[in-house]
Order: sequence, then C-alpha cells, then structure tokens
Amino acid sequence: MQGPLIELLARQGITRRTFLKYCATLASMMALPPSAGRAMAEAMAAARRPSVIWLPFQECTGCTESITRSHSPSIEGMIFDLISLDYQETLMAAAGHQAEEVLHRIMKENHGKYVLIVDGSIPLGLDGAYSCIGGRSNVDILKETAAGAAAIVAMGSCASFGGIPRANPNPTGAVSVSDLVKDKPIVNIPGCPPIPVVMTGVLAHYLTFGSLPELDAKGRPKAFYGETIHDRCYRRPFYDQGKFAKTFDDEGARKGWCLFELGCKGPVTYNACATVKWNGGTSWPVESGHGCLGCSEPDFWDAGGFYKALSMPADPLKLGAAAAVAGAAAGVAVSFANRAKKGAAKASHEKTTLADLEK
Amino acid sequence: MSLDAIPIHVVGAASADAGLSGNAPPLLRELLDRVQCLLDHGESSSIDLTALPLTPADLDWLREKLGRGEVGVMLDAHGESSLDETACPGVWWVTHRNEQGATLAQFLEVTFVPELVRAQVEDVKIGSEYLELLIAQH
Repeated sequence: MQGPLIELLARQGITRRTFLKYCATLASMMALPPSAGRAMAEAMAAARRPSVIWLPFQECTGCTESITRSHSPSIEGMIFDLISLDYQETLMAAAGHQAEEVLHRIMKENHGKYVLIVDGSIPLGLDGAYSCIGGRSNVDILKETAAGAAAIVAMGSCASFGGIPRANPNPTGAVSVSDLVKDKPIVNIPGCPPIPVVMTGVLAHYLTFGSLPELDAKGRPKAFYGETIHDRCYRRPFYDQGKFAKTFDDEGARKGWCLFELGCKGPVTYNACATVKWNGGTSWPVESGHGCLGCSEPDFWDAGGFYKALSMPADPLKLGAAAAVAGAAAGVAVSFANRAKKGAAKASHEKTTLADLEK
Repeated sequence: MSLDAIPIHVVGAASADAGLSGNAPPLLRELLDRVQCLLDHGESSSIDLTALPLTPADLDWLREKLGRGEVGVMLDAHGESSLDETACPGVWWVTHRNEQGATLAQFLEVTFVPELVRAQVEDVKIGSEYLELLIAQH
C-alpha cells in the first residue's frame, strides 16, 4: 500500500469533495485560517503512509480508548487507518515471540523512518522493574525503539509529563518520554485522555508537511495547545463581565456563567477542548457545567484542589478595558476568599501556573 | 442521538437577552467589510465561527439577524453539511456535521459560490469513468 493517500481514499469511495470538507474542519480545529483547508487537502492527498509503532508503558489504556473510540467510522478514523500501524499491543492479534519478531523486523526495515507513539510513563525505580513487558523493563524497550525512530509522539499526560503515576509521592519513580530521550524530535500530546483529533491532527500535519508541527515550550503542538481553554471558552464573555457561578446549582450556573470561582483551571490550561469538544463534537466539560481540571498541564493531579479557584486571574484580558477591570476585580475577590480559607497569605505571585494553585 | 432529543426544562423565565455575550454584533461589521471586499476585488473569505467565543445564544442571534436567502445546499459527505445563503446574498452560513449529526465546524463564507458546492475535477473524472462503464455494459 504505497500509493498516495488520496488514491487510497478514492478506493474507499471517498470523494475529493468529502476530503475537502474534512480538511476544512481539520483546519478549523487546528486553528488555522479557513483558507488553509485547501492547501492542506492538496498536500495531504499526495502524502504516503508512514509506519507507526505504538508502545504502551505505565498507563491505563485510556488514551487508546480515546483514540479508538472516536466517533467511528469517521474520516479521522480512516486517516488513522491509513497510517501503517504496525505494532500496538492492545489492538493487535499477534502475541508472544511472533509479535516481538514483527516489532524488530519493522524497526529494522524502517530504521530512521518510523513514527513511535508512546502512551504511559516510564518507571525508573528498582531498575525499571515496576513495569515490564516480556521480561524487559519499559526503559530498555523505549531506548531501543527510540533509537531508530524519525519522531516520537508522547500520547497523553503520562508519556508527556509523567502524569498520574508521577503524582506525589511517585512510588515507581515515573518519568516522561522527554526525560529519557534527548536526541529525537518529541511531540507531547497531553490530556487525560488527549482529544482524538489532536492525534490525527499531528499525523495529518506529518503527512501534509513531512515534518512535525510547531511546538510550544512544553513540546505541545501550538495548533491545539496555543491558547488556553479560557481564551477560547464560550463562557469567556461572562468572565469579562464579572458574571460567575458561585455554586453548581445557583442561578449563575443555570445561566451558564463563568466557572472560574468553582475552580475552573481553564485560564492556565492549554488545550483545544473549547473548540474541538468531546464525543464527536457533542460537548465538553465546561459546556456540561463543570470547570476544567487542567489535565493537559504537568502535575495537574498535585496542583491543589480541583474545586479551588485559581488564586488570581491569569493575564486579565487583552479585550476591552472596562470589561478587563470588571473581570480582574472579581478575580481579586476570589483570590482573597481563597487566602482566607488557607489562613495565610501567600507571598507575591509573579506568574500564575498550576503550581501556584493554593492547596 | 442529537442533543435536541434530550428534554431540557428551563427553570425560571429567560429574558430576551439571556446568554448573549455581546460578541455577535461586531461580526456584522466584519461581514460588511468582507462583502465590500468581494464586490470590489472579487475576493472570497470566511470567518470561522467555531474559533470565536460565541455562546449558543449568540449564534442563534446572528443566524436570526442574517436570515435566510434563496439558496440552501445540503451536502451529504460523511455527515451532512449545510451551505445556506443568508438574506444577504454572497454571505453563506456553512455548517459541517459528522455522521452523528454533531456540529464539527461552522463558517460564515463570503463568496459568490462556496467551493464545496462545485464539483471537484477529480470527482468528475471518476464520474466519467463510471459513465464509460455504463456505456460498455449496453
């Protein structure tokens, strides 16, 4: 199966028009200008499918669930089928020595060309004995597989940042992929789990441009993690107007006002939930009336209570000055409320990050 | 199943501007600018509504203000897409849905004919092969 992508799609009865529609929605999800859809379609149509090896380490399989249960049969699913997913322990039928033989053959045949997807963190405690596959520790397997990879995709918060296994007190000594592999391009796709279309978006980018997308300081693709949940939130205008829900069942909650005071981590969380949404575009946490947990940020599990408001408004508004004052004032009020709860005022905050959340 | 199928009981009377953020009206001005651009230079453009902080009420407001035009196109391509001309000719409300009916993306396109409406050359070629096949069978 070495033909260009568009020929494979055509064989499946997918018209060019359908493909254009897909690229238009993908461009929208990737926060690209609407005109980019056409350019993407041209480039991606001619792309060829790369070999992909997917390794699960210290993980819960939630990331695999998220990807494989994305509203199938969708065209994203087809794009995903159209990569050559050569090794995925959870999905493949092969097992035992045969499976390992396949893995090593693929690694040899495609040396320097395959894409490695990793989900789960890698435990280093007790020489990696906390998580072994076929008698080999995760850290050994990762180092061997990474050596021949063209690029590595760290799927989910565990592979990206250590995630929940790394939560205090980190009994297994869990670390992220980027803690171990230093000489390969790595894309972090954090989230617990990550949004399926971000995965296909990164693959689409790789197919389109033959390179990895532009990354932010935490190694995340800017197209999906370039803006905070807060900045793209449809409830953002209520934050600007100082309209907040105070409890989960008050009038403000019913009217769909901002969930900042109920602990929403949207202002410090970079992810695409607000625009891409979940369950095939049905809804997302804030639309369902619950604040963001910040699951795509490092150490979100240890970052203080999910229901504690952020200690101060992050980057209070680039919008209208009057609105900014209202929003900032409300944020300050919350800040004082939280401090009272805590009993002692924290010293000055220079920059609000998840780590600054008050416990 | 679409969200409409879930019965939602609104508690308390909603006022006329409930849920409106005030972010929709400025879009009318932007549309005017783009329509002028279409008229003067023939330049098509589009606004990605999904990317803007608009509440569902804002979108309803905008949709209602722009009204319905003479042309509505339904595209059945891995989920339905509707490309409806608004009461302002040249301004199209484009909604892409997946197979479950959930909205994937919404655009306001300012153009004489949206590109997705045109038959694509590659598809026409496949169509011509099909015609040849039909002829060969008779």
